[in-house]
Order: sequence, then structure tokens, then C-alpha cells
Amino acid sequence: MNDAHNTSGQAYGLTVLTPIRDGHETQLARDLDLLQGGDDSPLARVPRTHFARWVVIGDVVYEGPRQRRDRLSLGRLLFTSNFDGAVAPYLEGLRTGLGEAADAIWDHCEGYPGRDDPTAFAAYLRRHQIENALFFAAYGDRTVEQVKRSLGVRRDVIDFALSAQGMGAEALQAAFRERFGQ
Amino acid sequence: MANVEGKATAITVLTPVRRGGPLLLWLVFWAGRNITETLKKLQTLSFIHYARWAVIERFPDQGEGERLQYSYLLFESNFNGTWDQYIDAFSEVVAFRMKAIWGTSFGFPGPLPVEPFKQYIRRNEFVANHYWSAYPGATTTEIVSAGRVEAALERLRSRAATLGPEAFKAEYESFLTSVQRDL
Repeated sequence: MNDAHNTSGQAYGLTVLTPIRDGHETQLARDLDLLQGGDDSPLARVPRTHFARWVVIGDVVYEGPRQRRDRLSLGRLLFTSNFDGAVAPYLEGLRTGLGEAADAIWDHCEGYPGRDDPTAFAAYLRRHQIENALFFAAYGDRTVEQVKRSLGVRRDVIDFALSAQGMGAEALQAAFRERFGQ
Repeated sequence: MANVEGKATAITVLTPVRRGGPLLLWLVFWAGRNITETLKKLQTLSFIHYARWAVIERFPDQGEGERLQYSYLLFESNFNGTWDQYIDAFSEVVAFRMKAIWGTSFGFPGPLPVEPFKQYIRRNEFVANHYWSAYPGATTTEIVSAGRVEAALERLRSRAATLGPEAFKAEYESFLTSVQRDL
């Protein structure tokens, strides 16, 4: 695994494909579909995650008679994440952050060792990882925390600029100090 | 099924690659990593947060991995805006690169005209079962803009301490002018 191909700035693109146990595909898809979204998503508890997804891939697509038909012997669960920093600490954050949800999901996959053993958990995901050929990050130098903070600062500046319209120099400086410090 | 989270949309595409395709893809992606034009072009699209391509030679399993008759090209993107806008922009702005990449896949009709291309993507797309974003309310442009606003504000703050009210007002106004496109 060449991790240089998986990184852009400090951002890392994780791509994991695990084989779904025979007959578990429908139930796994249903379990994932029923996960709470937004702040209640189990992924919200995994630090340093910008974007992540699970996708059930039942089989590969057949593009017609110009190709021979391929079939996967087992469906695959795709997990991808775009996160900050190195992969090893992230996988540990994934294990502890997802908690029971990790087991509820990957128990549907062959060979999943459970989340009790951190080394086995990380080794399982790493063994099923696919190296990226090209990874793009529009702001790969910015962590989740930095992104959220600067979005807040931008909102503050907009609010301030609106409220400070027409202020005299002294009042403006005082208001600026009060809002942003020095 | 959830390809949308706030302003963010997920796309996941997996296509069968023709024989000889993996070598071409190796070259195309090597160039993509080392000659940064492709990445810069993606940057100019300004609505893609993160995207990736991967070539799957073997689908991981408990052994050496499952090898099918073809390799498969995986593409994922996290973007803001609608699916249609995304594919439209992609086919216009990076047509040449897309031809180089998906031209190795069976059934790829070319990026233009856009309708057959959209049908192709739809056919080969998998909908996410669960999709999550840390900041679903923000577009890529807002995030990049916010970074510039924060940096400019920091410069203003560091100078403000030494300035009298009139000089501060002038600095503040010049700050607003410099960031007005980012607000």
C-alpha cells in the first residue's frame, strides 16, 4: 500500500471493500439505510472525518455483449472516508467512535474480527483496503476543526460588517475589539 | 438510501475496464499525480470537496483477493449542487481527461453529448446506503472563502492593536474590500 497515493496535503482517502457474508446483503443494506443521519449518525462520533459513506455493491455492472459477463462470488461493502492525518490513529478512532455500530455493520462481512481487539480491527480494514490511483482534496491542508472554525469566523465577519455599517472610527474600533479581541 | 447530506451529494461509480485499460490508467493516473494539471482543473470546478479514483485488480477477500475477468475502475466524489449540474460541468470542463480515464471502460459513450454520458453514469452508479458530512451546510466555495476571510481577519487583528481609530477604520475598510468576494 503506497499511502502517498491516498493522501493530499494532510487529508487521507480511505477505500475499503469487504466481502459480505452469503445471504446477508439485504439485511446489511437495510441496517445501513436505517442508520440515523446528521449529528446522530455513528460517523459523527468518529473524530477527524470530513465525509464518509457505506455502499452495498451487490454485483458488478454488465455493460452488454461487448464484454464477457463478470460476477462477484460475494457482494462487497464499500466504506470510504476522507479524513485528517494518519490512517492508524484514524482506524482506532473509527473503532471507538462507531462502537456497537461497527460490529452491527461489519459483522455482516466475512472474517470481521469484532471491535474488541484494536489491532485485529485495524488489520482487517487495512487488509481489505484498496489503494487510490488519484485522490483529490479541494482543501487538503485544512482539518475538520479548521474548516468549521473558519466557517464560523466568516459568519461572524458578515454579521459584524452588517452591524458596523455607518459607525464612526472610535465606535468601530471598540466594537471590533469587543467582537474579535486583539 | 442516501446520496445527499445537506448541500453535499455523493456519487459512487464502478465500471468494468477493457483489456489493456489498466496500463493506460496507470499512465493517466501517474500523470495525474505528477503533472498537477488534472488536480488543478478539478480545483477550478470549485464544487468538489473530495474525489478519488481507484483501479481494482482484485476484490479483497479472506485470501489473495477475487480476480474477475476484468479490472474495475472505482470513482467517488463528494460535491455540492445537484447530480445533473455536476455531470454537466464535468463533461464540459474536464472532457479530455474524462475520455482518458473512462475511455478505458466498457460502454463509455464519451463525455459529450451529455445525455448518453449521464445514462452511462446512472447505469454504473451505486447509491450510498449511508452518507455523512461533518459540515453539510457548507459548499466547497464557502469553505475555501472562509479560509481566506479567517487569514485576512488574523492579519487585521495583529495590526489593529497598534492603530488609532482613524487608521484602524481605514485598515478595516481595506480588509472588507479584500474579502468582499468571500463573504
